[in-house]
Amino acid sequence: MASTALFRRVLALPPHLRRSVYSSTATHTGASQPDIYDVVCIGGGPVGLSFVSALRSHPSTSALRVALIDSQDLSTARTTKDTETYSNRCSSITPASLRFLKQIGAWEHAKRGRTQPYHAMDVWDGVSGSKIHFDSVDQQQTGLLDAVAEMIPGSRFQASRRKYQVEDVGVATMCENANTTSALLQRLHDLDEERLNERRVFDMLEKTRVESIDLGPESKDEKSLDLSQWPIVTTSHGKIAARLLVGADGANSPVRQFADIPSPGWDYNQHGVVATLHVDRHHTVQDLRTAYQRFLPTGPVALLPLPGNKASLVWSTTPQHAAKLKTLSPPDFTAAVNAAFRLMPVDISYMLSPTSTTTPTDELAWRETATPAASTGLPRNFPRIASVQEGSIASFPLRMRHADTYTGHRIALIGDAAHTIHPLAGQGLNLGLADAESLAKRIAYGVDHGMDVGSCWTLDGYNSDRWAKNNAVIGVVDKLSKVYGVGSGPVVWGRSAGVEVLERLGTLKGWMMGAAAGVK
Amino acid sequence: MRTQISQHTFRRLLALPQPLRLRTFSILNRPPPNYPGHVPLTLVERGALALGSAFGSLRNPHRHDLIAALGEATAKPYFISRLRKAMLANPTGRRILHDKPRITSQTMSLEKLRQLPENTVGRAYAAWLDREGVTPDTRDQVRYIDDPEEAYAMQRYRETHDFTHAITGLPVIIEGELAVKAFEFANTLLPMTALSLVAVVRLKAAERKRFFETYLLWAVGNGLKAEEVVNVYWEEELETDIEVLRARLGIEIPPDLRETRKLLRDKEKAERAARDAKDRLGAVMGV
Repeated sequence: MASTALFRRVLALPPHLRRSVYSSTATHTGASQPDIYDVVCIGGGPVGLSFVSALRSHPSTSALRVALIDSQDLSTARTTKDTETYSNRCSSITPASLRFLKQIGAWEHAKRGRTQPYHAMDVWDGVSGSKIHFDSVDQQQTGLLDAVAEMIPGSRFQASRRKYQVEDVGVATMCENANTTSALLQRLHDLDEERLNERRVFDMLEKTRVESIDLGPESKDEKSLDLSQWPIVTTSHGKIAARLLVGADGANSPVRQFADIPSPGWDYNQHGVVATLHVDRHHTVQDLRTAYQRFLPTGPVALLPLPGNKASLVWSTTPQHAAKLKTLSPPDFTAAVNAAFRLMPVDISYMLSPTSTTTPTDELAWRETATPAASTGLPRNFPRIASVQEGSIASFPLRMRHADTYTGHRIALIGDAAHTIHPLAGQGLNLGLADAESLAKRIAYGVDHGMDVGSCWTLDGYNSDRWAKNNAVIGVVDKLSKVYGVGSGPVVWGRSAGVEVLERLGTLKGWMMGAAAGVK
Repeated sequence: MRTQISQHTFRRLLALPQPLRLRTFSILNRPPPNYPGHVPLTLVERGALALGSAFGSLRNPHRHDLIAALGEATAKPYFISRLRKAMLANPTGRRILHDKPRITSQTMSLEKLRQLPENTVGRAYAAWLDREGVTPDTRDQVRYIDDPEEAYAMQRYRETHDFTHAITGLPVIIEGELAVKAFEFANTLLPMTALSLVAVVRLKAAERKRFFETYLLWAVGNGLKAEEVVNVYWEEELETDIEVLRARLGIEIPPDLRETRKLLRDKEKAERAARDAKDRLGAVMGV
């Protein structure tokens, strides 16, 4: 009698208190019993942090008990105060990702003076010179149907015409990874402060190494807790049981290995060289900035704008060229980067070959006089790179991986743990942020409908949301890199003809920009 | 307004990219020259030049200016660019494009070349010039190639053509020229060299037989196997031993054409003399 009355009273409690009754009984059964969390996220990078922030910001999921585990000291992930130096790890954040970051309340904490929105993109072929220009300002629709749509404001017709318009941000925004991370950390800290009087449900376990992940032990008898189907994370500070274990732990994800999810793919025989450069022109906040990318047969080289006179370089090239680039002196490196955008591929290969006898600076000085800008398709407003920031040259190997599935029983993968992509389209972080957004939405839906957040009822929706879309983007980027990896012959002619036609088709270009911006 | 929009869109859609356009400028408004002596041509003009010079040089193979014009008219869009990139990919070829040396009667002093030791490249070159009775006179200037560096590559090919003769020992008669042209086609891929082989129709039957049996096979085989001859810095190789250079480039010399012809001519003369003598003897003897 008393137990049914107690039972009914427990059921009448709000969910978080109901759960705390449950979990408090669990903790009383012994110190060896692992600490039970609703969601455990391993990985404190931008994707993991944004996922946890989304959970904490959403009213349905803000009461879930969440843990974030990272092996590094997250409190030091701040950008430098120095406005003259920029980290070489920058990402291009699309409007859709930016909308997500604003929605979870993190973007307002980012240092806006260190972010650079850009409004145009110039992409051209290093072999044939055919080019395509994307301009968010040009995409303002001025056709007949749009004139009609403007006459009926607020209608569905007008909304449908706006479908491919890129929002006020332009093409994308360049932001240092440390800037994004510190903004998210600040948001999490603020959310915790709001709940100061209530019971603590969020634990950030930084400087915590994950030693192993296993399934729980068989339960001793029928009445005690059965964690045999739950993932138990053994850390340097103790054991944690997760109703849902989320892997945001990078390309070599231990969570993915625990879940036995294969991640097929291949290595591109390329290394991505990154650096922070100074260009010859100083830009103010009001200036419209452009991102540039040139496709060489050895790999694409991209110049992405940063505030002031800075720019970020991402140059995917062969491992031999990358090794040579890292040994060059700063003036020679600058000359090599200028050459990468201005000279013919045969000259760039000669400059970076181990048997070249002249310095890149001299080689560039001679070859530039013999290579007219019109023949290589160099955009008219392309800046000259003046110098490179000390110590900012680094490289990393490029590969493509895609997990066969993103979910398992009480397992979900987001970000680089789920997929690795070629950096030529700047989509790596954006796909991860979209994953985080989708998974957080699915968990909120699960909580609202009384589901177990670790079960396939909740997680299958995330898989069907994201897997096919990510597969399409990874596939297209991979084929682009292969098509542009050819140095001569009919493939060059075919891709140049395709680019020239696409340059003249405004509607199709607008659709492509919308797809790349992740507009839904 | 709708027809205006559609016409504008239509025209924009049809605006062909530059490599496919028939005309990149109007002949009433020619662009300025890129180097002294440059004459920019439209596609139609270049086509007419190619056809005219092809038939003209077939009728009169001694018109070296028409052969030069044919070479320039057919070199774009791909072949001269490929040759220039091949020069840029090779360290010596790169130095040649950087220094831009010219071979003329002034820069190549024949007296000095004749003084060189017996087996050197320079001596062989001078000996060949004397044997054939030609001089390294200024070849025709390149005029119809738009890019200055590609124009220099074409000029360099033209001026080193005599060195190719010297290193292979082939003479300036049509048979020898055709063999050298076949070798150059396999080596440089310039279309003019292949088109010149049409002049085989002008050879006598015996010469044609000799060409197809011996010299064509030699030319194509050696041209493909050898290093690119346009990448040789001839000005620096004048004192190299010629056998060493041939070995380095991978060239074997064909049978000496003048010797072969002389032997055949002598044999024929001897046979004719013997026949005449027999006839005369027969006439005297009344047989």
